[in-house]
Amino acid sequence: MALVTKKLLGHLAHLSRLELSEYELKKFANDLDAILKYVKELKAVDSAEIEPMTGAANLKNIFRDDTIDFDRRALSASDGEKIIGAFPESDKGFLKVPKVL
Amino acid sequence: MTPGSLTIRQFHERLASREFSALEATESLYKAIKIKDKDIKAYVYISRDAAIKTAVKVDAAIARGEKVGILAGMPIAIKDNIMVEEEPCAAASAILKNYIAAYDATAVRKLKNARAICVGKTNLDEFAMGSSTENSAFQITKNPRDKTKVPGGSSGGSAAAVAADMAVAALGSDTGGSIREPADFCKVVGLKPTYGAVSRYGLIAMASSLDQIGTITKTVEDAAILFREISGQDPHDATSGDIVYGNELMNPKLEHIREMTIGLPKEYFIKGIAPEIRERIEGVIAQLQGLKIKFKEISLPHTKHALSCYYIIMPAEASSNLARFEGIRYAPVPEAGLTEKLLERYVKNRSRGFGPEVKRRIMLGAFVLSSGYYDAYYAQAQKIRTLIARDFKEAFKEVDMMLTPVSPALPFAIGEKTDDPLTMYLSDIFTVTANLAGLPALVVPPGFQLIGKPWREADILGVGHYYERINYA
Repeated sequence: MALVTKKLLGHLAHLSRLELSEYELKKFANDLDAILKYVKELKAVDSAEIEPMTGAANLKNIFRDDTIDFDRRALSASDGEKIIGAFPESDKGFLKVPKVL
Repeated sequence: MTPGSLTIRQFHERLASREFSALEATESLYKAIKIKDKDIKAYVYISRDAAIKTAVKVDAAIARGEKVGILAGMPIAIKDNIMVEEEPCAAASAILKNYIAAYDATAVRKLKNARAICVGKTNLDEFAMGSSTENSAFQITKNPRDKTKVPGGSSGGSAAAVAADMAVAALGSDTGGSIREPADFCKVVGLKPTYGAVSRYGLIAMASSLDQIGTITKTVEDAAILFREISGQDPHDATSGDIVYGNELMNPKLEHIREMTIGLPKEYFIKGIAPEIRERIEGVIAQLQGLKIKFKEISLPHTKHALSCYYIIMPAEASSNLARFEGIRYAPVPEAGLTEKLLERYVKNRSRGFGPEVKRRIMLGAFVLSSGYYDAYYAQAQKIRTLIARDFKEAFKEVDMMLTPVSPALPFAIGEKTDDPLTMYLSDIFTVTANLAGLPALVVPPGFQLIGKPWREADILGVGHYYERINYA
């Protein structure tokens, strides 16, 4: 029995904001089905008492005062201009987007 | 002798003694690239103007009698998912075809501060998703050692550039083996640092808890030199570690190496490994034993779950990281255009901009994070990750590092594994564990991997260095 039906794949495509051709729907359903059947083996591992590793290894919290250190800013004003310059559509330095609502 | 065929140390000595100028070396290297890269296609972009400017500055400094740093004038290739300001950065994807990097990655800025030369940007699997560089939207890169074979991936362009003497060294990135596997396939040295040792600022993110920028070089000593330069805490990357690597990375002492014990995890020496690889590893072990280094068989019991764990966590993180590519923030894909309706813009840009492997992994990520499946897949994978990390922590009480094969198979032919994604994923079985556990890992020709304790690159570089001296002195 396929884990990944065409219907499920259509749902995943929508979540991912992708539209797939007939060919892609078939191919990806098969691919994802095979992959998920492989990784499903994890379910059998007894992990009831185990804490999940929610991020990377070796992490430490870093806190600092909520102030702007102008000398240590990642980006200069001209860098900011470059980022705005990369917007396909902008208006007075703001990114222009299609109507959301 | 072409400049690209030298090691970092050799290049620096000849530059400092004025055997050649930085300008001469750079021009000579670009000539070599023009000829060789027609066929190999390691580079997607050549940074000639910036390179010449830097070379001229370095020559002026030398002419003034200044003592220049070891990386001054050094020709280094940069994987095209690492940003170099004002140069295109496409991560081998059509969706970023028209993107120009707005700033330098921290690792690149450090190289520029050292007056190294960024030769150009190298080819990769799209968004670093792949093990052969065949998933690039732009071109296929050939393995310089055998041009019918893949160079490995995803840092195939960087590995091929170094192996073909089209750069002295290169930067790559490694999320599940993307530096180590191509280094192995192209027979060069690859280092994936401890998670947090090198800033990820300016690396186009794939899986944020797994990604690291690392080095691809001709020798282990070069790896140490380059790694020292690019490593260190960066306030722009909150996951970067509070670490400063010093001279401990250089000049390892044999007496110190002899005090170490190398673990052989039995779960990595399984039936399916190619016989040539098995023989090769046995040869390496015998040579290292000749140096009086101790070995011990150990067990990392959850190894068999590592690939599943990785192929759940990585797509989940990648699907989140790639949500930003929607045709609004960055230049839209030309065929998609600037449509009026929001949803249509997202869908058209992403569908036309992403290649099939990227789409597969985004949807896989959507699946494991979606309601109804989250607990059984993603949450479970996070728990398995804890167990995998714990296996190493336990084993490191008895040994200082592990020695393992890099890949279960020899470099495969171009086109051989492109039909079945799962077959391609199996290339990663020996490399993903170091990313999941955040550990440093080094790959040395003819093909073995050393996995070290967190922050102990000096240990694995030390053993690698002495192995090299036996074989390639």
